[in-house]
Amino acid sequence: MSRGNISLAALLWLVIAFLVLYPMSILVLQSFKIAETDNWGISNYLGFFQDTYYLKTFGNTLLLSVLVLLTTTLFGVPLAYILARYRHWGKTVFTALILLPIVLPAYAGVFAFIIFFGKYGTLNLLLMETGLFKTPINFIYGIHGLVFIQSLHMLPFIVLGLSAGFTNIDPSFEEAAEVEGAGGFRRFITVTLPLCTPSYLAGAVIVFLWPFTDWLTPMILGQVDFLPSVAYINIAYHFTDVHRKYMGIVAVIVSAVVCISLFLLARWWVERKKYTGLSKGTTSEGRVIEPGPLVKLSAYLYMFFIAGLVLLIPIVLGLSAFSRRWVFEPFPTHWTLENFRVILLETPVLIQNSFVFSGIALLFGIAFGLPAAYIIVRTRVPGRNALDFVITLMLAFPGIAVGVSYLLGFWKGIPLAQYWIIMPLALFARRLPYFLRMAHSSYLQLDISLEEASEVSGAGKLRTFLNISLPLLIKGVLVGVVMFFIMAFQEISTAIFLYRGGWETLPIGIYLNWHRGMEFGIAAAMAFLMIVIAFILLLIISRIAGGILKAAWGPGGT
Amino acid sequence: MAFIEIKNLFKRFGKVVAVNHIQLEVNKGEMVTLLGPSGCGKTTTLRCIAGLERPEEGDIVIDGKPMLSEGFVQPSKRGIGMVFQNYAVWPHMKVFNNIVYGLKIQRIPRQTIQEKARQVLELTGLNGLEERYPSQLSGGQQQRVALARALVSNPKVLLLDEPLSNLDAKLREELRFEIKSLVRRMGITSVYVTHDQAEAMVISDRVAVMDSGNVVQIGTPQEIYEKPANRFVADFIGTMNFMSGEVVQVLQDTDAVYVRTEFSEKMLCTTPDTTATTPGKKVYASIRPEDVEVFTEPPQARENLFKGTIVHKAYLGNFLYFFVSVDGTMIRVQVPHYVPQEEGQELHLFLNPQKCMILF
Ligand SMILES: Nc1ncnc2c1ncn2[C@@H]1O[C@H](COP(=O)(O)OP(=O)(O)OP(=O)(O)O)[C@@H](O)[C@H]1O
Ligand SMILES: [Mg+2]
Repeated sequence: MSRGNISLAALLWLVIAFLVLYPMSILVLQSFKIAETDNWGISNYLGFFQDTYYLKTFGNTLLLSVLVLLTTTLFGVPLAYILARYRHWGKTVFTALILLPIVLPAYAGVFAFIIFFGKYGTLNLLLMETGLFKTPINFIYGIHGLVFIQSLHMLPFIVLGLSAGFTNIDPSFEEAAEVEGAGGFRRFITVTLPLCTPSYLAGAVIVFLWPFTDWLTPMILGQVDFLPSVAYINIAYHFTDVHRKYMGIVAVIVSAVVCISLFLLARWWVERKKYTGLSKGTTSEGRVIEPGPLVKLSAYLYMFFIAGLVLLIPIVLGLSAFSRRWVFEPFPTHWTLENFRVILLETPVLIQNSFVFSGIALLFGIAFGLPAAYIIVRTRVPGRNALDFVITLMLAFPGIAVGVSYLLGFWKGIPLAQYWIIMPLALFARRLPYFLRMAHSSYLQLDISLEEASEVSGAGKLRTFLNISLPLLIKGVLVGVVMFFIMAFQEISTAIFLYRGGWETLPIGIYLNWHRGMEFGIAAAMAFLMIVIAFILLLIISRIAGGILKAAWGPGGT
Repeated sequence: MAFIEIKNLFKRFGKVVAVNHIQLEVNKGEMVTLLGPSGCGKTTTLRCIAGLERPEEGDIVIDGKPMLSEGFVQPSKRGIGMVFQNYAVWPHMKVFNNIVYGLKIQRIPRQTIQEKARQVLELTGLNGLEERYPSQLSGGQQQRVALARALVSNPKVLLLDEPLSNLDAKLREELRFEIKSLVRRMGITSVYVTHDQAEAMVISDRVAVMDSGNVVQIGTPQEIYEKPANRFVADFIGTMNFMSGEVVQVLQDTDAVYVRTEFSEKMLCTTPDTTATTPGKKVYASIRPEDVEVFTEPPQARENLFKGTIVHKAYLGNFLYFFVSVDGTMIRVQVPHYVPQEEGQELHLFLNPQKCMILF
């Protein structure tokens, strides 16, 4: 173990300590503060759990999680099966469309669905035109709408996990069941599904946690009695009301604790299952079936239905972005570029900020991620596993918790929040795992003897890294770079707590436009712009490395 | 003084002791093989020489310069060439660039680099493949690239870790001789790791047999084969019949001993170590299948003559293997392929006392 590695690891720990551990501990510390005194205690927690309102909020969130998980599972299982097992035309296109919500910001979806499914949205207006309905149907305002929108957003995680599972099962397991006489459906229920449990679970936990993180969707739909939304409202609007502020902090912590413990539980369980060797990684394509015509038709219809819902988001936003005063009409009538003129010419600072902040965050991400991947994979420095662990935890840590802890940690004491650099730093901390995991997994696949051969040939460590490792890692690294950038570009949950006048990013612009009076056209145009940017970046990655893409997708989030 | 001296080398991974205080010397220009079963510590020893592992104890001296005791010398500073088991040919570089990588790092003039590369390409038979990427090469060609890369800068020491194990049998034999003659011509001191005893016999000047982290015997291939130090070595190198027994009598002033085995009260054997042989000691009377003499008719009476029944006959092309039961003890016998005896028939075996050694 060389001294260089140890100092490098120490440096990385210092960064983590400053940008992750310090603000988090301030957050936890604050939650134990007794309001208006200098004393500490658990009174905030007692207050929270004795207040029927907050308890109800907690229950609502739990209920929403269960419903979203049920819905995504119900729709996801057949979808994953079709994608993984049926030989059909357009597999890549459908897969791409169904997975698209991962890179679409959740709030973009909400706006699109309000325009399309809202009280006087396209669908209701069309229905009323037919004369069958006198009054509009409430498609989305209520818990059913939340379940619908969040499920569509989280469906990819179930599909990704399950279809990987369906593809990777050793075909002989199913063949054995077939030989034993288990027919199609029975075999699926008794053998295939149980074998896929670990990969299902990995996705399911991410889905289940989403309602504990997503504060914005409920707010836009006017449903605020959910844990993260309450936390946001209490802290953002009632910072001066000390009691509500502390209730907000406790709500943040409760969400974070739920998220982290479930995440760890699922990880532990999946690891254990993997260890017993249930699913053997086969290199073959897995079982691909040629379905009968009727099954095939239904499969197509089903895929069209889901893909159509996903496509609705960019289409509706696009229509809205290029039109003006689209209200009480099923389709826009006034076409205009006015929205884009406002965004690009009147307030170009939003786009600028988005690119600058995400870009700087990305540079931090690379500067931190490459050495961290090296330390974790290639050295035996003590504490490297803990480093990996902390960084991975950031995947489950709600964005709102990062935001609040930065607000508390960097306002007084270390007054970093007064400088714009806080924005990229926060984005960096929040999206840390995206780049690192990519670099990490491609590093694991890089045969160490390629590097050793270089050292034996007379190259030092740094030279070896530049000449041998980096060129061989570059694909994975680039995918990580793009994913990181997309995710940083869309980030709102953390940024919303930290921005000040002049620091607004595109997502914040969307939020403010909605918040200040339904400037839907401009908000839609901004969302549309973000989708276009994400889409272009995605095209770039799929060019670079098609297969690696899936590996890059971890849990998403606003 | 030897060119490479490994002194009391000790390396562990957590609780696993991979290399247990070994001593080994390699003379200048010599090729020494580390031979042993999987997991016995061959690769670890080699990697310690290369500087890719840091041993906990001991020292390695190369050409008079200590690699450990006076501060750890980085692999890049040891002046070695190494061929990895999986070749480790860099997939993103063409053959030529793979080979000259080390020379470029040493900032050798372009002209010289071209010259050296040409020579080594010639030696390894890679002419015309310079501009290919490794993915466009066969396994054997990739192996040659790895070898060329290791040789190009005239290293003081060449280390090879099972360089042929990923190749098919035919190519393996061909390359064995190629490597040997190439290394000998260049006069490079080399350490060669393998778990294939036939390969070790062919290629090395001396063999070091390893067993769970220890070097159990060092010697020329012939010494190792004919005078194995213990049962492990005898079993690992070639085939050996082991007949467990007990020493009954040690003959004065000779290396002959009598051993009681399951089928014989007094069997005459040779001992490699007279001092360690005392009556009552449990030993194995051991003889190689090809050293057993067989007679179809009872020959002249003599010591160590036994009658047995052929239980199984195996045809191996140029010779036959008989599994002969002598009072229930199975003895393997190698005979020329024209011996007509069949299963169930009787044979007389003569276990020549000169060839029948006792092992511990
Ligand atoms: N990096 C490592 N971490 C932990 N244990 C190791 C490591 N490398 C080797 N070992 C252990 O050390 C012992 C010796 O390993 P080594 O690779 O030297 O064996 P080997 O003789 O080369 O075997 P093979 O013929 O299979 O290549 C083994 O028990 C192995 O499991
Ligand atoms: Mg080995």
